[in-house]
Amino acid sequence: MIEVHNVTKLHFGRPVLKDITLSIPEGSNLGLIGPGGAGKSLLLKIICGLVVPDEGTVTIDGQDVFELDEIEIAKLRFRIGMLFQNYALFDFMNVADNIAFPLRQEGKLGEDEIAAKVQEQLDSVDLPTIGHQFPNELSGGMKKRVSFARAVVPEPPIVFYDDPTAGLDPVTSSKIFLLLKAMRDEKGVTSVTISHDIEGIKDICDNFALLDRGELIFWGSRDEVESTDLSLVRQFWDGFSDDELG
Amino acid sequence: MASEIKPIWQRVLNNIGDRFMGWSFEVGGVSLLVWEIMRNTFPPKLDGEETWRNMYKVGVKSFPIVVVTALLVGAIMVIQSGMYIEQYGAYGLLGWGAGYSVFREVGPIMIGLMFSGRVGANNTAELGTMKVTDQIDALRALAIDPVRYLVMPRVFTMIVMMFLLVVVGDFVSLLGGAATSQYLLGVDMTLFAWSVITYVSLADFLHGLYKAVAFGFAIAVISCHFGLNTSGGAVGVGRSVNASVVGSAIAIFILDYLITYLDT
Repeated sequence: MIEVHNVTKLHFGRPVLKDITLSIPEGSNLGLIGPGGAGKSLLLKIICGLVVPDEGTVTIDGQDVFELDEIEIAKLRFRIGMLFQNYALFDFMNVADNIAFPLRQEGKLGEDEIAAKVQEQLDSVDLPTIGHQFPNELSGGMKKRVSFARAVVPEPPIVFYDDPTAGLDPVTSSKIFLLLKAMRDEKGVTSVTISHDIEGIKDICDNFALLDRGELIFWGSRDEVESTDLSLVRQFWDGFSDDELG
Repeated sequence: MASEIKPIWQRVLNNIGDRFMGWSFEVGGVSLLVWEIMRNTFPPKLDGEETWRNMYKVGVKSFPIVVVTALLVGAIMVIQSGMYIEQYGAYGLLGWGAGYSVFREVGPIMIGLMFSGRVGANNTAELGTMKVTDQIDALRALAIDPVRYLVMPRVFTMIVMMFLLVVVGDFVSLLGGAATSQYLLGVDMTLFAWSVITYVSLADFLHGLYKAVAFGFAIAVISCHFGLNTSGGAVGVGRSVNASVVGSAIAIFILDYLITYLDT
């Protein structure tokens, strides 16, 4: 269970996240939606302890993320996988080493087992032959898939996906969403998924939260989203806007 | 509504205050990084693969430029002192003049500045790019301390390589000086070598090596600090590299002054 309590984050004195409170039950997937610049990625970084909020707390399985000492936070992070919005692949390693990196750091498996797991992940994201290539040789979509493989290879019980299908074609996007669904349904992974592909996440998320300009406008189940009258939620959910551009 | 124009004294004070806060932030950041490095030094925590990768990048790749620089520095020192040596006929002091100045001052300073421009700038750009593309956060998300994984190998490598490059540079400078004295001034190489061996002491050589270690540490810490605190995309990386080179140069001259003062 992940709980976010009254989280506020300031940037040069201006709030970029305002008093956010929500919870993510174990084994569920929260869909985090909202316009660009609303603070979704920042909230994700706060939840996994990469950014410290100015106010509020985040607890994961009862542990306050910002009260943990170095060893405890390291243990917690081994249980979290994170797919970053702009891939965050290590440029100085090839694709196979990038995917193997969390496994090598964990130190539980031998090199043969690691190689097998890496190949299994590459196959699952439809990139079976690119292990020797470096990130700068890949397209944006390929980087995204490698980043996904790296996030899930240690089979963490918690995974945060920051726009997992951005830059992907519709076929690959649907494959990634199927993988996300399998992570939740078959492995019981607790996750948060940021996406602008609302149709894609409708079927893989249990709850949805909408952020706008740092404020949590809405948080509820799919049924609650479909029955709400909030115009911004309706616009996002149904994919239309009342206003004209310009 | 037009914004109110502040009086000039207020703007000057604001400017001074901003600069003071900026400098305080950098000095504080460097101090914190030094503290983190100390914490990881006892007991030493180094990633072997990352250390070797940096050894190659920092040391082997800097070797040619350091050799060329050192060769020319030795030659220049001999040409500069040659005028007075000829005037007074003190040919036996040519080796001492070149060796003393190269070992104690010119060698470490020139190689330090070259090292800062080549290795320090590259280091800041690499870490800065990692920072703005979330690679540093990715390391932290994988439970890896960026100071242990990225900074420690760089600090260790830069100290070791700066030391070795100054040793090599010192002797290459003397070779350059000896060749110049033979072929340009007509002073025999053996007389040049005799002068170096007789008048230049081990203490002069070690003095330069103390500086090499101090410069290597300063360049490593400053370049890592600016790299890890980069923000603002590609423009931010450029800004950090600029600040890192300027900061390293200032640190080199301050440390040079202090070591010269304390060890003379």
